[in-house]
Amino acid sequence: MHLGIDRHRPDRIAAIDDTGTELSYGGLCDFALEFGSMMPRRSIVFCLCENTIGALSGYIGCLSNHIVPLLIGAAIDRKLLVHLMEVYTPAYMWMPEGLVSEFNYPILYKGYGFVLVRTEHEPYPINDDLAMLLTTSGSTGSPKLVRHKYINLVANAKNVAALFDWTKKDRAVVDLPIQYTMGLNVINSHLYAGASVLLTEHNLMSPDFWRNIKDQRATNFTGVPFSYEVLFKLRFTRMDLPYLTTFAEGGGKLTDGMFADTADYASRTGKRFFATFGTTETSARLAFLPAELANSKIGSIGQAIPGGELFLLDEKGNEIKQKEAEGELGYRGPNVTMGYAYCRDDLMLGDEWQGEYRTGDIARRDRDGCYYILGRKSRFLKLYGLRVSLDRCERLIKDEFKIDCVCTGTDKRMDIYITEDKYKDEVRRFISIKTRIIMSAYAVFIVEIIPRNESGKVQYEALDRKLALRLI
Amino acid sequence: MNNLKKYNKVFTTLFNISDNQLNKDFTFNNVEDWDSIVHLSLITELEDTFNVMLETEDILSFGSYENGMRILEKYEISFTDV
Repeated sequence: MHLGIDRHRPDRIAAIDDTGTELSYGGLCDFALEFGSMMPRRSIVFCLCENTIGALSGYIGCLSNHIVPLLIGAAIDRKLLVHLMEVYTPAYMWMPEGLVSEFNYPILYKGYGFVLVRTEHEPYPINDDLAMLLTTSGSTGSPKLVRHKYINLVANAKNVAALFDWTKKDRAVVDLPIQYTMGLNVINSHLYAGASVLLTEHNLMSPDFWRNIKDQRATNFTGVPFSYEVLFKLRFTRMDLPYLTTFAEGGGKLTDGMFADTADYASRTGKRFFATFGTTETSARLAFLPAELANSKIGSIGQAIPGGELFLLDEKGNEIKQKEAEGELGYRGPNVTMGYAYCRDDLMLGDEWQGEYRTGDIARRDRDGCYYILGRKSRFLKLYGLRVSLDRCERLIKDEFKIDCVCTGTDKRMDIYITEDKYKDEVRRFISIKTRIIMSAYAVFIVEIIPRNESGKVQYEALDRKLALRLI
Repeated sequence: MNNLKKYNKVFTTLFNISDNQLNKDFTFNNVEDWDSIVHLSLITELEDTFNVMLETEDILSFGSYENGMRILEKYEISFTDV
């Protein structure tokens, strides 16, 4: 069975969702067997996910039977869904019962509020190693998928469970979407350890989320930077959360201020704070900062996870041997996926990456071998011959003015988007001084709101400069 | 500008709507655009506008346009014209 779920005592609870439904490890194994008998192995199944037991059991059912799911959100944009269906022609779909009428396909099977339907498409040959497909966090409107193999998921679950030291007693609250690599990794690593996952559709801003944390005695929380923005807005450091003892972060970089405050809070209250780093292409986590270093290595992603190796590449693509250095971050390990798919034929492809992945992020390595992400390679501009990080500028402005901000631009000029008219001149002066580049290299735009997707990532393509109020 | 006008302006700007759409049905559950990201912006805007710091409970239970006024009244923000 996937993740060795049949190793655990059958009566132990694997998952609980918002409806209060509890699913034991034994129940999950039984379900997986039944689910597998409904369709041929190697079928492609589109799983329309929500954070419920129905979605989770479908995912486990697929992986346990060598059926290949594409995990996507149930709320996925319908144009994109239609496009994905046309490109990958899945023979089956697994979806919440409430969505069935939208598709008008015959129902083959029902379980935990989900249904399996048969589409008009026929199964087709795919690569033997292909285990699962995910979209990438950056892909909006594109059919680009990441091809996972079986060892990727198991290795990452095992190694991440080891670094956090998860045990059967852990209870992880999972509000990050199942179909999002980091959310899935939280689930996988806990199930590997025989722990319980508390799946929730409630968001951090809802009273139900916090009631759930208290009632279910959640022990672990994993959030993206936006989650931590919400936590700080809610003044979580003053909340009474006796059971919640591990805070993990991934999916982007916290501001140094929030990082330091979270580390400080954790050490004062006897909790653990782990900054981690991952990508969909590496089945989520590839690096983590040990909790005991959180106070001294502010902003660092630490070192490779167990079983993996980090390295830096220079502009020519050669590995940099000096201890202290800056370059593109690369990773070697068993969780590196096989490559991308852009069309159906690509599902026949084998392992193109062979255990090695270049992240496209520029990172710095300090003398202790700890890594710091400086930003996306594509998020650097060369202004007047100087390399300037758009991400660093965003953080500087956010930290200085406590405002929301996005930086984009070209090698000719950086465009800074903020939401507060009153800081327009100060922002421009401030960033010019910080980067030591003249003010004419910067333009400031005022927008009503910074567009973000469901995991809080800025949608640069949705930033409409025409609508923005231009302020030199 | 009186407090009600200021309060309304935060909503109309954030949700890109007009004053007459603000009524008792304007709630977290009813309004599709009112997600956690907008909620965070809303609270931040209101805190800045009225120069208050809301308690955790109040941020979480700030579930509607109308209830929001009751909550702000606890911070001595009055919505009745004198």
